[in-house]
This record gives sequence, C-alpha cells and structure tokens, in this order.
Amino acid sequence: MAGGQERVLRRRIKSVQATRKITKAMELIAASQIPKSQARIVANRPYRDGMRRVIVEAALGDPAGAAKLLAVPERVDTCVVVVIAGDRGLSGAYNSSTLRATERLIRSLRAQGTQVRLFTVGKKAPSYFRFRGVEVEESFVGFADRPTFADARLVAAKVVAPYVDGEAQQVMLVSTRFASSSSQFVDTTQLLPLTVPEMPVVEASATLKGYTEFEPEVEQLLAYLAPRALESEIFSALLEGAAAFHTSQQRAMAAATDNADELGQTLTRVMNRARQDSITTEIMEIVSGAEALRSGK
Amino acid sequence: MALRVEIVSPEVALWSGLATALVARSSAGAFTILDHHTPVVGDIVPGLVKVQTPEGEIDFAVHGGYFQVGPGDEPGVTLATVLAGVAERTDEIDVARAQAAKDAAEAQLAGIARGDAHETGAQLVFEQALARAELRLALGGVKSTKLS
Repeated sequence: MAGGQERVLRRRIKSVQATRKITKAMELIAASQIPKSQARIVANRPYRDGMRRVIVEAALGDPAGAAKLLAVPERVDTCVVVVIAGDRGLSGAYNSSTLRATERLIRSLRAQGTQVRLFTVGKKAPSYFRFRGVEVEESFVGFADRPTFADARLVAAKVVAPYVDGEAQQVMLVSTRFASSSSQFVDTTQLLPLTVPEMPVVEASATLKGYTEFEPEVEQLLAYLAPRALESEIFSALLEGAAAFHTSQQRAMAAATDNADELGQTLTRVMNRARQDSITTEIMEIVSGAEALRSGK
Repeated sequence: MALRVEIVSPEVALWSGLATALVARSSAGAFTILDHHTPVVGDIVPGLVKVQTPEGEIDFAVHGGYFQVGPGDEPGVTLATVLAGVAERTDEIDVARAQAAKDAAEAQLAGIARGDAHETGAQLVFEQALARAELRLALGGVKSTKLS
C-alpha cells in the first residue's frame, strides 16, 4: 500500500536526521579539541627538544656508557612493543591504521624468532588484539584523549621494567605522529636502546665533542637521564596521538554528516514521489468511482 | 652577546627570555650560570631556581630536573635550558593548596606506617607528593612574607 511506504520513508528520514545531529555534534566537539591538543604539543616541544639535546651531549661525553645504553644488542630474544591508540572509536582510520601497523610489526618480529610482549594505550587496542589471539600484557585506558605527564611516567615505568630486568633487549613504540593538521602518519620508533635523534649539524659538530662539562659525572648522569628521556618521548607520542585522534575524528564525523545530508535528501525525494503517487492513485479512484456512478444512472 | 634562559616542563614552557644569570643547585653544589658559560650538562636538585634579569629576579620552585648550557640557535647567544619534571613560579604557588596536599600525603603515609592496605609503590608516590608540597610551602611561604 502506497501510504504505508510513505510512513516507512518518513521514519527513515527522521532516524537519518537524528544520526546527523549526533555526528555533527561529535564533529564540533572534536574540532574544538584540535587546537587545544595542538597547543599542548607546542608547549611540550621545548622540553622534548631540550631532553634530546641533553641526551646527545651526554652520549657524546660518555661514548662507553652510551654504547651500553644506546647500542642495539646482537640478539633480540624478547621485544617489548608499545602501541598508542585511542580510547574511542568513530575516528576514521586512526585506530585501525595504528593497530594494523602494530600487528605487522609483531608478525615480522615473530618471524625472526623474537618473543613479543605487548603493552597498549587506549581502549580500542586490547579488543583488537584479543580477537586476533595476541596476548596483551597490560593495557592503559582512560587518558588517550587528554594525556598528562603523570600518565606518560606510568606507562614508561611499566614498559621499561622488562628491559631493566634484562628480560627484554628492545622496546618499540608504534604511534601516530602529528606533523600538521593535514598530515598524520603512523610511525614505528625504537625507544630502547635509546636512539639518539638526528640533531642539526651546527649543534652537533661545532659545540660538543669533549667541551661539555658534566655534574655529576657523566656515567651517573646518563643512567639517571635515560628513564627521563624515555618518559619524555612517550609523553610526546601520547600528545601527538591525542591530536591526531581529534583531527581524525573531526574529519570522519564531517564526512558522516555530509553522508547523512545526502541520504536525507535522497530519501526525501523518494518519499515525495511516493506521496505524489498515492495522491494520484486516490484521485484516479475517486474519478473512476464517480464515472462508474454516472454511467450507472 | 647574551644569555637566554628557558625553564621548561613537559606540560608547559614556563619561561623563556634574556637574563643576566641563572642560579640553581645541582647534586655537586650550588652554581651560577652567566653569559659565555662553558657548555655543561647536569642535574638540578629540588629547590629554588633564580633567574636574574635586568628587570629583576624571577624565582622558580623546581621539583628536580636537569639543565644544559650551550650555544643556542641564535648566533652569539648562550642558551641555558632547565628541564624540570614539575616546576612553577614561586609567586604562583597556592600555599593553601600545598598545605592541604601536605596534610593529605602525611595522612596517607601515616596510614601506610600503620599497615593499611595500599598498592605497591604507594609509599614512594606519597613521599614524592609530600616532598613537593613541602618545597612549595617553603618557597611559597618565603615569598609571601617578603611581600607583606
């Protein structure tokens, strides 16, 4: 019956519009979080850069100690893998691309005969890996949207423990880097042994190399510094991950809102046609009924 | 020629500007950084960090960290960076809040001493919180009495 079809369509349009309201709200909320999370990255940058400079200087000042901390061991029996994903979904490819990269890394490590111990940040990660039969040693949830330095210290303390105890020879981090609001990419970096980040040539060559003094002694300093550097790197990664998450969610929800608009328009057109059809049918019935009565006279 | 001082923590870059001197204390003892200081890397024990500028002195409570001195990106400028886990300007310390934090931490530590159930590592956490609160009270208190 034509009238029934119209009612069904009306209900669908309503539900599409309700969904659109939700996606629009999520889009706006995510958009409002982007500048905040970007500002936090900017605020963190001087600390991160300073910490990297200090590590470079300390490493140059104590090559022997640095070799112990920085050199890649000949054999990696066990590798700790840390992945930073989001606490929430509906964020486009943010979670899935990070998690897929992690899965690839785990597979390639296992292919080399390396044991993997997995630590995850974000609510979305454990379910992904549980479904794929990868054991998650510990998962951290609740702060992926707005990480604090205390959160970073907690994560750092947990993931560094197997390395310090000699149970693992390497710590890898998989996270999304926030290059700019239009460019984010999944990156895999080695946290431990510490990788000395690339420094501008001027700084490395002109200033350091034996000129730098250390207090206390450089050996001791490097041992204290290494965990701080790790915390700093993890915190930067958490901040960039949060910014990338908000950006990705904003984009995904904007697309969803556009789709809802389009779908609503199409449905409205179909509904109008159905209504017009039913009206035409009704008129036809009345007219032909009247005709029949008149001819029957 | 100039000395640029940066006081930065992971969550916020606290202060950056031209200064005449940076005064702090490392595990090897108190030190002062002036312009043209030789490159140095070291730690900073929790306490007062003073930045002397032509306009006056700015005091920071630094709850432990590291410092680095070297030539910065700007030509002819010596860059001194203080990397602090937690730090704040002493004139921004909330004394009442620090007192409350101190009382709370002491209560928790007393609970641990009595043998109340706590997570492992809790004692260290509360001891650190207590140390921070005490430093804030010491430095924040000094500042406010001076002003009055």
